[in-house]
Amino acid sequence: MESSVLSLVIFLPFLLSFPLFSFNRAQHGTARWYALLSSLLVFAGALYLALQFNPSSGFQFEHTALQNWLGDSMDVKYSVALDGTSMLLFAFAAFMFPVVVLGSWERVTTNAREYYFFLLMLETCILGIFSAVDLFLYYMFWEAMLIPMYFLIGVWGGNGRGDAATKFFIYMLTASLVMLIGILSLGYISREMGGTFTTDYHKLLQLELPLSVQNILFWLFGLSFFVKAPLFPLHTWAADVYSESPTGAVLTGVLLKMATYALIRFNVMLFPTASANFAPLVCTLAVVAIIYGALVAMSQPNAKRLLAFSSVSHLGFIVLGIFSFTQEALQGAMILMVNSGLTTGLLLMLVGWLEERRGDVRLSEFGGLKKNMPMFSAAFLIATFASIGLPGLSGFIGEFLTLSGAFKSTTLQTGLYAMLAALGVILSAAYMLPMVQKIFTGELTSERNAALSDLTPREILVAALLVAMIIWIGVAPNSFLKLSETSSQAVIEFVTQKSASQALAK
Amino acid sequence: MQLELNHYLWLSAFMFTVGVVGVLVRRNAIVIFMCIELMLNAVNLSFIAFSHFMRDIQGQLMVFFVMTVAAAEAAVGLAIVIALFRNKQTVNIDEINILKG
Amino acid sequence: MPNDYLLSLPILAAAGWSVLLIILEAMLSRAALTRVFAMLGFALVGGLSVIGFPLQGLAFSEMLRIGGFQHFANIIFCLSGLLVVALSEKYLDDENVHYGEYYIVAFISVVGMMLLAAAANMAILFIGLEMMSIALYVLAGLMRRDVRSNEAAMKYFLLGAFASGLLLYGISLIYGATGELALHKIAIAIQTGSASMLFWIGFGLLITGFLFKISAVPFHQWTPDVYDGSPTPAAAFMSTGAKAAAFSALIVVVTNFSTLLQNSPTWSLVISSIALATMVVGNIAALAQENLKRMLAYSSVAHAGYMLVGIAAATPDGYSGIMFYTLVYTLMNIGAFGVVALLESKENLLLASDYAGLFKHRPMLAGAMAVFMLSLAGVPPLGGFIGKYKVFAAAVDAKLTWLALAGVLASAVSAYYYLRVVYFMFMRDPVGEAISAPATSSLAFALIAVAVVLLGVFPTEILRITDAALKFAQLPTQTGF
Repeated sequence: MESSVLSLVIFLPFLLSFPLFSFNRAQHGTARWYALLSSLLVFAGALYLALQFNPSSGFQFEHTALQNWLGDSMDVKYSVALDGTSMLLFAFAAFMFPVVVLGSWERVTTNAREYYFFLLMLETCILGIFSAVDLFLYYMFWEAMLIPMYFLIGVWGGNGRGDAATKFFIYMLTASLVMLIGILSLGYISREMGGTFTTDYHKLLQLELPLSVQNILFWLFGLSFFVKAPLFPLHTWAADVYSESPTGAVLTGVLLKMATYALIRFNVMLFPTASANFAPLVCTLAVVAIIYGALVAMSQPNAKRLLAFSSVSHLGFIVLGIFSFTQEALQGAMILMVNSGLTTGLLLMLVGWLEERRGDVRLSEFGGLKKNMPMFSAAFLIATFASIGLPGLSGFIGEFLTLSGAFKSTTLQTGLYAMLAALGVILSAAYMLPMVQKIFTGELTSERNAALSDLTPREILVAALLVAMIIWIGVAPNSFLKLSETSSQAVIEFVTQKSASQALAK
Repeated sequence: MQLELNHYLWLSAFMFTVGVVGVLVRRNAIVIFMCIELMLNAVNLSFIAFSHFMRDIQGQLMVFFVMTVAAAEAAVGLAIVIALFRNKQTVNIDEINILKG
Repeated sequence: MPNDYLLSLPILAAAGWSVLLIILEAMLSRAALTRVFAMLGFALVGGLSVIGFPLQGLAFSEMLRIGGFQHFANIIFCLSGLLVVALSEKYLDDENVHYGEYYIVAFISVVGMMLLAAAANMAILFIGLEMMSIALYVLAGLMRRDVRSNEAAMKYFLLGAFASGLLLYGISLIYGATGELALHKIAIAIQTGSASMLFWIGFGLLITGFLFKISAVPFHQWTPDVYDGSPTPAAAFMSTGAKAAAFSALIVVVTNFSTLLQNSPTWSLVISSIALATMVVGNIAALAQENLKRMLAYSSVAHAGYMLVGIAAATPDGYSGIMFYTLVYTLMNIGAFGVVALLESKENLLLASDYAGLFKHRPMLAGAMAVFMLSLAGVPPLGGFIGKYKVFAAAVDAKLTWLALAGVLASAVSAYYYLRVVYFMFMRDPVGEAISAPATSSLAFALIAVAVVLLGVFPTEILRITDAALKFAQLPTQTGF
């Protein structure tokens, strides 16, 4: 059934962003309330879609427009839809935006309306990324996202913001331009294999690409996603960008797992045989990332950089989950994508608030904060536990599924990856807990720390929202897992079948 | 000796080459301009030669256009050189080098 | 034949209008009035091209070839002229060179561009090219008391005339090899016989002449100096209208010889290498520029490289991509040059760092400039991206994936220097007092910026037009007569 409700939800933030300019430039109060209401409205729309969503069938809410967008010789169009893989992340993205608006409530006071303008633009791009089912359209959203991200980091970030923004932009642009060549090649290959130049996802899924072609395209596409993810050894931009960005930009732009989603959606589905062949290599990189990220995180003196590397480490789990090619691991990866956004997001936001109060995030500057900031400490502790993967919280279920799935994986053939990755779980405790210890325990040595005030009611609300989600996923993962269950199953079956038939053909 | 097409073409090519080399090695703007004129006249010669030996009128028509255009070009070019000379008191292109980077 | 007049009505109207402008200026000598009439003229000629769009055929003893392609090109030239004239006044006033002749010369240059694109015969090609170029030499040297402008004009003139000489010699050799000056007859002569060495040398010289005009590497050295010294609006005009005209003529020539060129691996290799070198050299050199006019000059070299990728692909899609590209490029580059001119004219602010904090004082202007810069960098959803997409797609289609890959990497490099401007405008605090500029011009730039965005999001209709427009340019020998 054709209906434009999905498109409406995607472009709602875009449409709602323009009235911002009618507000008085000096008044940031109105702008933020307006942004909050707008993002809540979008979330309501996403929630509506999620409730209407039928987990047992494939793509839904399809909407196509702009046939032959780029002239008649190319079958390129505007086409969006959601399936189990994207629904969860779509709704989660819509959930995060009101949280982000609340999170940057006090922090953004200069040029507030432009800040919220770019934030809403970013939301449209991200929702578009999760729902595009045309490669060209996907690419448009994927690159367009760089523009609001660039401004959010560069204008409202920390001291090194300009360089961080440029670094982010150039890294992402270079990688995605390579993907553009991949998209073009794929389009022309589809024409050669009978038919027209197409970037339609459904049509491309039908192609039986020769393995040699798959191998090349896998990397042309993959490079972009691995850089964005970021996967070791392409992670070098991450620490700078994390530590210089305003909290909001990091949360939405970097932590929402657009790249890992894209890996499933495009790399795995379009090039199944190549994906299965490269799985050991990619998983090796993932395991290296897990351990390397954890080891580097241990030695970071700065809380934001520590979290950046912990996120590199978490990313390794997600990639491992995807490339294990078992349904269990894939489901685990899905949950981890959400979890990483929630826990690292909450931690970064908390650290951001600390920075607002204290003007510093070096661990050596702190100590004994639990005495004067009890609420802050509690929230921080819960997020830390979730990040480490304590049972009952969201991190546990994701890591457990991923590891057990990877252990059983027939593609990887050995449980070695899972075992090494499990080491990462232990290491994560080894860098997270000392951080908590340094910040919160001990005596209040410095007067400036003693003067810090605890969370405001608004901040408590934000933290409580995220903590509630963390606990909800931890206690009742099924309400989330069932969204992606059928489609994960479908992904695994599709890949197994395709790569088996190609192996047979050889 | 009967003059053939090739003789004209070689002369034309020679004149053209002299013009090109002049443009590349000379430093006086007026001389460079003269070399460019030499190139154009070399072209005219070849047009006329082709036209004559192929019994085709188009080449000669072209020559008139070239001469007209060359005249217009000379008018503008010399005006530019004069404007420059007024400001700089030189037409040596090695000394005209404010713009660089 | 009256049909001929109808066919070439835009060109005739433009030529007539330029005479009218001359008379007007001679009688009244009021620059502001001439300016208004020049703008009216551009609008009129552009409008005639829009109305006459479906008309096609050869006119005046097969001297002119008119079709959708030519009409589309005319519209680009008129758009370029119109925008440049519209944005010139303040700059010229501030530089004290506000002469009515400026508008007349610009108009005559557009007549030359139109002839160039419509040329079906080498004679017209040469006349159109010279008409355009000589007018541009005058524009470059307009600030005749400014030694920088003198120098720019002289460099442009000497190198331009030199390039014309090469081109002309090429024409004469082609004439000698085939006995024809009409493009389609030359093509027939080559198809029936075979392309001799003489023809190839002539063809090489002809193309070299064009490469000079579009500032392709290694014939690009004049570009930064000329753009730097010329009045900024004139530089905008050279980089958009003149470049579009040279590309139009180049497309006409290469489509005319398409059967010959498609079977020539050397041609493909040569033009691909030049495209590659142009993209790489243009972008790398632009990285080092502090002065924005020079930066934009090298950026225009790089953009010529992207467009050459479409020529190297040698497919209708590639040519249609170039046409779309020139349209977008005209808008975004005039926008960028216009902003530079606006800030340059009063306070001589030319460095990227002079733009620090522009966003604080002039948010709309800064926003528009950011759109131009990002579009030049080729970031979706802006028009510049679609242009690049089309030419690179054509290259991949023509099995030149390596060229496309090099092209996208070069354009990733370009993002760095475009972003530098954005960086200063938005992410630095202003130094010194506020930069002043009239509010109306901000609005004009905002409109151009909106057009650039719209071309990026809804390119479909324009792409249909460019695809269709090429049909006629594609089939030179099969015209109904």
